[in-house]
Amino acid sequence: MRRIERLINLIAALLESDRPMTAEEIRKEIAGYEGAKPEAFRRAFERDKADLKAIGIPLETRDDLYGGSPGYTIPKSRYYLPQLDLEEDELAALRIAADALLGSGEDADTGVMKLAVGADDTPWGGVRLTWNADVAATEPVLARLYQAISDNVVVAFSYRSATSGESKQRTVEPYGILHRRGHWYVVGRDRDVDEIRTFKVGRIEGDVEAGADLFDVPGNFDVANHTVGEETTEIAVVRFSENVAWWARQAYPSPHVRPAPGGGVDVEMPAASIDALLSFALWWGTEAQIMSPPAARAALVTRLSKEVIATDA
Amino acid sequence: MPDPAPRLARRLRRILVLLPYAIKHPGVSVDELARKFSVPRGELLDDLNLLFMCGLPGYGPGDLIDVSVDEDHVYVRMADYFAAPLRLTPVEALSLYAGGAAMAAMPEMEEADALRRGLAKLGRALGASDGAGATAIDVRFETGPDQHVATIRSALAESRRVRIEYFSASTGALAVRDVDPWALYAALGRWYLIGWDHLRADERMFRTDRIKSIAMLDEPAPVPDDFDPASYKGAFKARAGQPVAFFELSPRAARWFEEYYPVTEGRDLPDGWRATGLAYSSEEWLARLLLSLGEDVRAVRPASVMERVGALAAEILDVYQTA
Repeated sequence: MRRIERLINLIAALLESDRPMTAEEIRKEIAGYEGAKPEAFRRAFERDKADLKAIGIPLETRDDLYGGSPGYTIPKSRYYLPQLDLEEDELAALRIAADALLGSGEDADTGVMKLAVGADDTPWGGVRLTWNADVAATEPVLARLYQAISDNVVVAFSYRSATSGESKQRTVEPYGILHRRGHWYVVGRDRDVDEIRTFKVGRIEGDVEAGADLFDVPGNFDVANHTVGEETTEIAVVRFSENVAWWARQAYPSPHVRPAPGGGVDVEMPAASIDALLSFALWWGTEAQIMSPPAARAALVTRLSKEVIATDA
Repeated sequence: MPDPAPRLARRLRRILVLLPYAIKHPGVSVDELARKFSVPRGELLDDLNLLFMCGLPGYGPGDLIDVSVDEDHVYVRMADYFAAPLRLTPVEALSLYAGGAAMAAMPEMEEADALRRGLAKLGRALGASDGAGATAIDVRFETGPDQHVATIRSALAESRRVRIEYFSASTGALAVRDVDPWALYAALGRWYLIGWDHLRADERMFRTDRIKSIAMLDEPAPVPDDFDPASYKGAFKARAGQPVAFFELSPRAARWFEEYYPVTEGRDLPDGWRATGLAYSSEEWLARLLLSLGEDVRAVRPASVMERVGALAAEILDVYQTA
């Protein structure tokens, strides 16, 4: 019997059995294992469990209340996709979105297929692509975080600070996930400081460990209200030359844009830090200059006045 | 990116979706199944054949899955436990949700309303049993002015050339260029137009927020057959034959730099800095980038780039001192 047949038999048996099955029962009763020597069985079963978990099958272990061997089960309530009652046009739109994804298109495709199982005339594929997005969700820890959010369990991970570059162990109650400017973030209560913080998923080092500790999400929590990166502390004014004034008018809301001498515009904008503001202004070369805060203007002049970039290490 | 799913896992994943589909659609043809699951007919028949041997313990006639292919029509019985699909894995759910949210953010998308309804239902199902999923995920895109994106979409739909007035970071100037649009591309929170740039006679990427004006031309602009949007990663695509500059980045800058720029090589140095190679298309662009990095970069080669950086610094300083 091929391995894939054994895996299907294992899923079927654990899904249909009205009580958890012990390893011994699995070895004796499920086609594909029968006759295996205990050691060979143990190895095969470990590998099978890992493979099923990897494709998202909720294979769970249950301790025996009377001290016997633990049992294995796949709870129906966690296996089956809940009824979503998607309309035809909703499915079709999701299909187009899945087609347009780069990087994780295959995952999104499988997702839509699952959703479309009961649908009759949903167009499957064949959409002519005119746009693509790189919102890949391929970082492995993202899946772990998402699972922990669904299960309301505390997670622990090592996190590299953006400012100091140092790594520190964090214990977090994960509340939600954000995607901004091509990056994923997790928002949750940092238990060590007892505050809600935002963590960039790309700066998590190593694996995310899900604990057993449960928590409650605050009733009014909405992940969309949370910001990423440093808090904005200051409002800066940047003057754009006549050449690029059109860009500033397109890019910023009109109440923050006013005409400046020489045909340009002055734009009020939030600045995360002096460094970030300097970077932004320098990108525009001679087309932009920082008007305020004065400290940022002075820092820029100082940076340009000395030898900006060291020639040697 | 992680390795592609091994063959076995991919096949099992497919079978666990294919089964419920076949159960819900008794009599579906082999070809239709093959088409819907993007799998060759022969492989699909293999999938169905192996199910003959599967079922519940006992494995007698009443326990095995009953698969029959009758005059090319497929019937699956005795497998009600496989009649509903497995729920979405976190990666499937997040990818789909994020892709949907990106698409819903696109202006004048005729499917946007259906998509938003679908995403709301999906969001509710994705979360915990109390439905917390709906507010636990948020995907947002920043886009340039709406009218450009809508015009690009129309041009793509009609396969027509566009004329854009574009502010180029490479030259620091506005120029008019005719572009055959091949794709509209969302990356790092922005929209880009990818296409054939007649001015440079090359494939190029344009940030839509840097487009000052756009007009559709009458010239047809078909997308070449070998164009592959998947070859774009992040906001840049390194092109063959571009010059490469070498420099060292501070530990602080090295951390984010490689996420954003087409780095050709990176190597850690004993003092924590990182030796970096970067492909570039114009010295002006590179000079601006290096200047914005300031004290986080050192030891730049070739020397001509440093000359340009010095000249640019003097020009900018001039703006501040005459103001």
